[in-house]
Amino acid sequence: MSRAACAGGAAASLLCALIYTGALAHETHEELPEPTPLLYEPPAPGSYELPTIDRVEEHVLLGEGGAAVSLPGLQQGQVAIVSFVYRSCADAQGCPLALAVLRRLDRALAREPALAARVRLLTVSFDPERDTPERMSELRRLMQPKSDWQFLTAPSKEVIWKVLRDYGQDALRLATADGKESPTLRHVLKVFLLDEDRAVRNVYSAGFLNERILLNDIQTVRAAR
Amino acid sequence: MQRSLRILAAVLVLGAAQVRADETCQSPYLPKVTGQEDFVYVWTLGIAGLGDGSDKLVTIGANPNRPDYGEVVSSVSVGGRHEAHHGGLSDDRRFFWLGGLDDSMIFVFDIATDPIRPRLVRTIDNFEEASGGVVGPHTFYALPGRMLITGLSNTADRGGRTALVEYSNEGRYIRTIWLPLGAEYGYDVRINANLNRMLTSSFTGHENYMRKLGDLLGDAEAMKRFGNTMVLWDFHARQPLQRFEVPGAPLEIRWALQPRHYYAFTSTALTSKLWGIFRRDDGSFEALELADIGDPSKTPLPVDISLSADDRFLFVDSFLDGMVRVFDVSNPRKPHVIYERKIGTQVNMVSQSWDGKRIYFTSSLLANWDGTGGEDEQYLRAFTWDEKELTPTFEIDFRSEQLGRPHLMRFGQLEFHRGAGPQAGAE
Repeated sequence: MSRAACAGGAAASLLCALIYTGALAHETHEELPEPTPLLYEPPAPGSYELPTIDRVEEHVLLGEGGAAVSLPGLQQGQVAIVSFVYRSCADAQGCPLALAVLRRLDRALAREPALAARVRLLTVSFDPERDTPERMSELRRLMQPKSDWQFLTAPSKEVIWKVLRDYGQDALRLATADGKESPTLRHVLKVFLLDEDRAVRNVYSAGFLNERILLNDIQTVRAAR
Repeated sequence: MQRSLRILAAVLVLGAAQVRADETCQSPYLPKVTGQEDFVYVWTLGIAGLGDGSDKLVTIGANPNRPDYGEVVSSVSVGGRHEAHHGGLSDDRRFFWLGGLDDSMIFVFDIATDPIRPRLVRTIDNFEEASGGVVGPHTFYALPGRMLITGLSNTADRGGRTALVEYSNEGRYIRTIWLPLGAEYGYDVRINANLNRMLTSSFTGHENYMRKLGDLLGDAEAMKRFGNTMVLWDFHARQPLQRFEVPGAPLEIRWALQPRHYYAFTSTALTSKLWGIFRRDDGSFEALELADIGDPSKTPLPVDISLSADDRFLFVDSFLDGMVRVFDVSNPRKPHVIYERKIGTQVNMVSQSWDGKRIYFTSSLLANWDGTGGEDEQYLRAFTWDEKELTPTFEIDFRSEQLGRPHLMRFGQLEFHRGAGPQAGAE
């Protein structure tokens, strides 16, 4: 995001100042934003329904060392939290925020081993040309997962585009001022909760991307089995 | 950073541009276009004998730096008249969902592949059956991966009892949530994601909104069958929490947009009042009558409202006198009118750019409620707003252009959809 993007009214300028200051620091994902505490008490697990929104296919992507890994690759009784990020993302409230929340979820799951055994966290790169398996392994080392949290990429742009279409995850590769391909992707932040049948049971964006809500929803889906 | 800032930020910072310019009052899950809007898309109700007579999506050039400024750029008919009314953009802003209040048809346009010429890509013709008897899809409100739709009526008695209906972005029916007993009527829905709170408002059923307005106003029994309630919900759980008495058909809802502004506004059509719904210290909410809109004894029929992004100005249109009144709502509990102007013989919808500098109005309310003869102007009128007065910039006469009755507006931009990506036509 350029400083020029920060023209506008007073409120907009405040936003931009806050966003821009954090953006560069988060670009490598070595430092993540601190998610804001919820302003409300989320509804208790099992007190609400999460009907199927959609159903996704099984895909084969690349994991640690380029090994083939299934997405979501769930066994009976498991659920998955699938997120799409890319390592060049400089928007602190985009991919870094998703990673920050997932890391909190990872730590929360690690404190509940019985539940953690039933949950897969899968973070997938939008950008396989830059985010090689090595780069995603580096991200894994930065996150230091304590639960089953995998970092995947695709063998080609065509493969990840097929995945993104299946999940209904938008992404646009922007162009630079001189018409060249920019490292920046425009995308809406989305995180997906899948059940064992690959049914999408919830989709989270900035407003509801919180580890307490994710945990409650995981328990709600499992309780409804 | 405040959570509300985070949400606003998330929808603002995607991509690079110079000036923010989206319409306000949209779903917090909707990404904002940045820069000057290139187009205003107008969902337009067909008029028998005018042009092809069909409902259509009309694209108007809105960028003064483009050669199509102030002109009709394209028009795509959906075939037939369905009481074209409201609609909404999908969570990725690629699709524009549009509803018909009479036969409950839903039309989904792709506005990303070619923003100049939207393309009808999906028609949902079984909304009533799929939803379990909901009639009149009204508000279309983007949720992540889904579209939340309010109904106005039901198949059982065509009265005002109705529901919220959810569809996936791919057009798959998900669920129906009927409004609670004692507050069964529906109209608008708006979410404050920071607070996990959702508000719904109430209008009237198919039996009333499809009648001639003159006949309806003279039918005392029918006039009793309007909504007088709003409902506050736990959004995540989709469960009602509080019911408010707001007499006289509270219609459009607008949550404040600034951090720590935990309130919303609505206007009542039949009683001509401005109301506020305010969060109390204990987390519950209260609904308070705030001000008259014009002279309530003359029933000006307030309709659409639009709140500026800084929460300072609330534009309130009233249909029967064709007026817009701008309230200063800096103190939301003590709003006062700072400006008023007659926009036309009738006026319904109002949309403003995110920077608050450009304001657009359209004329039509419902086919059978619009004026007759010389009182039935059908237009889109564009103005600039300098925080003191409106100055006309351009207008489109929807009659002379053989288009119909213009209603809901949404903004579009070429740059927003430009780039390479996985979605069809994105390259």
